[in-house]
Amino acid sequence: MDAALELRGITKRFGRIVANDGVDFDLRAGEVHALLGENGAGKSTLMSILYGLYHPDEGEMIVRGEPVRIDSPRRAIDLGIGMVHQHFMLIPVMTVAENIVLADEPRSAGGLLDVHAADAKVRELSERFGLTVSPDAVIEDVSVGQQQRVEILKALYRDAQILVLDEPTAVLTAQETQDLFKVLRALRDDGKAIVFISHKLGEVLEIADRVTVLRRGKRIDTVATADATEESLARLMVGRDVLLRVDKAPLHRREPVLEIQGLHARDDRDLPAVRGVDLTVHAGEIVALAGVDGNGQSELIEAITGLRRVDEGSIVVEGRDRTGASARDMVAAGISHIAEDRQRRGLILNFSIAENLALREYRTRKMSNHGWLSTRRMVTAARSLIREFDVRGGEPETMAAALSGGNQQKCVIAREIACNPRVLVAAQPTRGLDVGAIEFVHRRLVAERDAGRGILLMSLESDEVRSLADRILVIYEGRIVGEFPPDATEEELGIAMTGGGRREAA
Amino acid sequence: MSAVDEPLPGGALGEPGPDGGGQTSAARLAAYVQGGGVIVPLLTVFLAFLAGGLVILITGHNPISTYKAIFNGTGLNWLLPWTSSADRPAAALNLQQTLILTVPLILTGLAVAFAFRCGLFNIGGQGQYLMGSYAAVWAGSSFAGMAHFPHVIVAALAAAVVGALWAGIAGLLKATVGANEVISTIMLNYTAIYVGDYLFGLGGPLQNGAQRSVPVSNDIVPGAKLHVFWGDPELQGLHIGLFVALAALIVFWVVLNRSTTGYEVRAVGLNPEAARYGGMSVARNYLLVMAVCGFFAGLAGAMDVLGWQFRIATNDIDISQIGFYGIAVALLGRNTAVGTFFAALLFGGLLSGTSQRNLDPTIFEPELASNLTTIIQGLVVLFVSADVLVISILRSGRRLMPWRRSRT
Amino acid sequence: MTSAVATAERERTVTPRHVGWGAIAVGVIAWYLALPPILVRSFVPSVVLGVIAIGAGAWVLGRGESRLGWGAIAAGVIGAGGAVASTRSGVGHLEDVVTWSALFAAMLRFATPLLFGALGGIVSERSGVVNIGIEGMMLMGCYFGIYGADIGGSWVIGLLVAMVAGGALALVHAVFSVTLRADQIVGGVAINLLALGITGYLYVDHYGDQGTPDDVSRVPDITLPLIKDIPFVGDAIGKTNLMTWLAILLVIGLAVFLFRTPQGLRLRSVGEHPRAAETVGLSVIRTRYLAVITSGVFAALGGAYLSIGFLGSFNQNLTAGRGYIALAVVICGRWRPGGALAFACLFGFSSAIAQRLPTFSDSGAVLFQALPYVLTIIVVAGVIGRSRPPAAIGQPYTRE
Repeated sequence: MDAALELRGITKRFGRIVANDGVDFDLRAGEVHALLGENGAGKSTLMSILYGLYHPDEGEMIVRGEPVRIDSPRRAIDLGIGMVHQHFMLIPVMTVAENIVLADEPRSAGGLLDVHAADAKVRELSERFGLTVSPDAVIEDVSVGQQQRVEILKALYRDAQILVLDEPTAVLTAQETQDLFKVLRALRDDGKAIVFISHKLGEVLEIADRVTVLRRGKRIDTVATADATEESLARLMVGRDVLLRVDKAPLHRREPVLEIQGLHARDDRDLPAVRGVDLTVHAGEIVALAGVDGNGQSELIEAITGLRRVDEGSIVVEGRDRTGASARDMVAAGISHIAEDRQRRGLILNFSIAENLALREYRTRKMSNHGWLSTRRMVTAARSLIREFDVRGGEPETMAAALSGGNQQKCVIAREIACNPRVLVAAQPTRGLDVGAIEFVHRRLVAERDAGRGILLMSLESDEVRSLADRILVIYEGRIVGEFPPDATEEELGIAMTGGGRREAA
Repeated sequence: MSAVDEPLPGGALGEPGPDGGGQTSAARLAAYVQGGGVIVPLLTVFLAFLAGGLVILITGHNPISTYKAIFNGTGLNWLLPWTSSADRPAAALNLQQTLILTVPLILTGLAVAFAFRCGLFNIGGQGQYLMGSYAAVWAGSSFAGMAHFPHVIVAALAAAVVGALWAGIAGLLKATVGANEVISTIMLNYTAIYVGDYLFGLGGPLQNGAQRSVPVSNDIVPGAKLHVFWGDPELQGLHIGLFVALAALIVFWVVLNRSTTGYEVRAVGLNPEAARYGGMSVARNYLLVMAVCGFFAGLAGAMDVLGWQFRIATNDIDISQIGFYGIAVALLGRNTAVGTFFAALLFGGLLSGTSQRNLDPTIFEPELASNLTTIIQGLVVLFVSADVLVISILRSGRRLMPWRRSRT
Repeated sequence: MTSAVATAERERTVTPRHVGWGAIAVGVIAWYLALPPILVRSFVPSVVLGVIAIGAGAWVLGRGESRLGWGAIAAGVIGAGGAVASTRSGVGHLEDVVTWSALFAAMLRFATPLLFGALGGIVSERSGVVNIGIEGMMLMGCYFGIYGADIGGSWVIGLLVAMVAGGALALVHAVFSVTLRADQIVGGVAINLLALGITGYLYVDHYGDQGTPDDVSRVPDITLPLIKDIPFVGDAIGKTNLMTWLAILLVIGLAVFLFRTPQGLRLRSVGEHPRAAETVGLSVIRTRYLAVITSGVFAALGGAYLSIGFLGSFNQNLTAGRGYIALAVVICGRWRPGGALAFACLFGFSSAIAQRLPTFSDSGAVLFQALPYVLTIIVVAGVIGRSRPPAAIGQPYTRE
């Protein structure tokens, strides 16, 4: 089998960060080759270079035996390289057909856009490759699974021979993932070369023929999946034996601190997102909320923390009804919130560390006096928090933007725990963090659980869920569809997350 | 440095959105106050004057003598020790004029700066100023028997409150339905002009009683005029409005940096999403900030009416630009109190230095000069909009001067 | 409303939406009755119609169509109120002001510069670049149009010079907004100031006290041979300026371009999701440059109409805010050429009335002049439907 693509010694720097460090990668026609690594290992960067979105600082690219310079996506498309991005590059207000044919539109007489020809071509491709789409549907009304099919069709419309898929299963249900794999196998057998970027070991072993592992910008190894196991791949990915379980004291569950009953809430588009959720969190336990992204978890969290309107149902904190309270009142009632996106929602990057740490308490007597803010007391409070949570990288006066992601997250966690909450709601607390920071966060959450707080953890990473939780609640289409103990298997959880096999919720 | 958790260029990790951009443009402007120190504004001004000088040169005039004449017109030479005693009286008069103009510029500048710190574009300073001046002229010409001090307070307060209400319309729309405040304040500007034309025009409700054929308001009563503390009251001397403006600067700084309200305003300006997640009411802050801005701008209107205008004619309304100058002042002053002061002084000087009264027409035609001021103002705002440009010029300059420690 | 109910609604023949629009029409008719040529002198029929409109509006409100409902109520109130006011003023006055054909012709005259500016605004904003600087580009066209016609001796040269001047200023905006990624709104404000200063400066320097010459070559009116004799239509459109026709043609052309050609699709994609456009090989930067420059050219044509099409002279700041009204037209018209035509005509109509009102009431005229601005505020507040701009507008685009 000849090499469809060869990347040799690719190096790319962004300022001080080396995203790719002398990476070699080869791809054969008629294979599915996985690119595996943790968040930030350099997988997306490498493929963006291949697609002409970035220019490499060093290294060369050889496509079908010819050395090439790919300086724009146009060039990549002309070379037969197609990319299916992790965050879809689709225009929400335009139709499926318009998105697919954009920049390569069929014309009718007089130079006008030939809509019929476009629709027909889309239908033809759709049938040929088994990717069902409706050409005249508008993208923003269409399901995530269909959107992804549109992305793939975009590449196939341009006769891509090399197809790169960046974390395609992140937004898919288990069934949709299987459908995708079927399509990928058909494309592979058709002679196309497929790059499958992922950080999910199980899927890689299932679909790929070979796998290349990246870590911190370097290529570690390339192996055939037939010879690999989850453990061997994990070791390559992380560089040491991965601690898959945090040491936890045995569960000492106490009185309920958060009781949700029959909660209903709508999403930003006014469609029902939370459709009758019942859940209870007790002091001294960690309850994890697991599920595929987009099943109402975010809206549920926002409703609980007072950031989203509750249409129906009740939120009771420590026996007192707090339904409909504002965000500020929820904090006062004892619910703290470690928000999902620390840079956009958790911190004000242009504020100093001290100012950020004061975000919940600046109106209290601790830091102000009848509206007069005391910077001195703010800084003093910040210093003690910085010490307690081991925040590194700056003084209280340093801008939050200067800290690394892990230290930024520590600030957010410090601030929320400093309020002394009864319930701590943590939404994706380790997203985008390196392993050291993840371990810190996990240890801290367990410590707070042992100290008697109730913790509601929302996470998309099933490893994290299974290692931290005392109970796992699976959310699907806005309802809790199952409750599982922490030793539940991935299969059990996966089935529940896609709506099958219901078990009674507690 | 870990390769994992640094934010990749273009925004937060893997973040979606059309162009992967991180901050909103308003947040960029709110953050503009940091970085670059005082060099960047100075460089901006220098570049703007340089370009203005080129315009003068290209159209066949002498930039050096023009700028020198404008400078003499500002009266700032009064501050220089080497100015001869023969020139001093004229320079003093000029300086008074400059400072008279600086007063409303400080206040309209603050009206824009405070909004920018909250991430809002208040382009409506002109309209708020005008509405304030209408209220001031009405209050100043009524209540003839009132004692001086209370009368001034009432008139100034009326003006400031009316300005706050006018700006509050835009603030309310932004807070409740998210209406773009740029559009609504621009529209309110023009509406304010027409309101004034209606009020003081022929047959309008506030037209003066004495001369029915002239579209002008009543004069304010002498008891409401602001006290002049430097210069001749008959010749438009400098009035105590200057102290009001300086007080406003102090209030601005204190509120923004030492009060819980200011903390919220700054937080909302830098990251409204995080502010909301932190429990703040973004909508309430928008409304409050716009009202405060209108308060400042309305107060500016009062200072002018009570300080030296004493009446309003529809002509004055149509050609007034002082609220727009506030935008340039705030941007050049990078939305800070100290910056606003100096920027207001600069533009006040430019305005008075190029006026009919102060500029020697043999050297440079005043009407040309006032247009030149507008060009320079435009250039300042343009360069400020591309802070990147000025900062990169600065950085390349710094590389040529290796002995300067890099600070950012 | 859930989708199920909405579908059921759509399947019925007479929906609340129909009733809502009907009620608005009834409100308009209520006022129309009192005006020439119908001139019903009793206000009773109008008030009855107004009440019907208000009632229907309330019903529509109850069915969930809040915007149409309130619109109908407003139409009823305004229609009845306007009719009452009209019946109380003299017939002579009314006939002076409301000569429909003359009003129509005046509407077209006022609408033309707005239309050019708005079309330019649409092109720029559809590509994702906010263009507050339409006012400035218009002003450049205004001055340079008459300057070019004066120096070059013909209005054709005037138009060409105007287009170049507008395009040049737009190029500055493009450089700062697209390449330097400057803040687009602040940049737009700067552009307007620059234009004001530059045109004022050059005008004073070149024409000084005497002003522009009286006999400068002007864009001709087009007299339609047969049509001009038809009673109403003839007065309305029989003698309209060439540029007005040009503007209307441009509306059609731009509509076809934006929604039916590949290039229009690409332009819109750049404004909605530039990164997506970039990944299929389009150049966001090049598209935006072209769009912004085009918008400057269009706006300049609108300004040139003012000086060499309509007035025949120039004065400092002649555009006097029309560029901002053009921006309002863009927003109210929801970034569509057809919508721009509708609102340019609406605002033109209001200016036409304002022009004729001084014979009737001075102060009333002023209030009509403020109408475009007030209406824009109402639209921006989302009272007349949410106005959704291109998704990526105003955000500087970074390639890497």
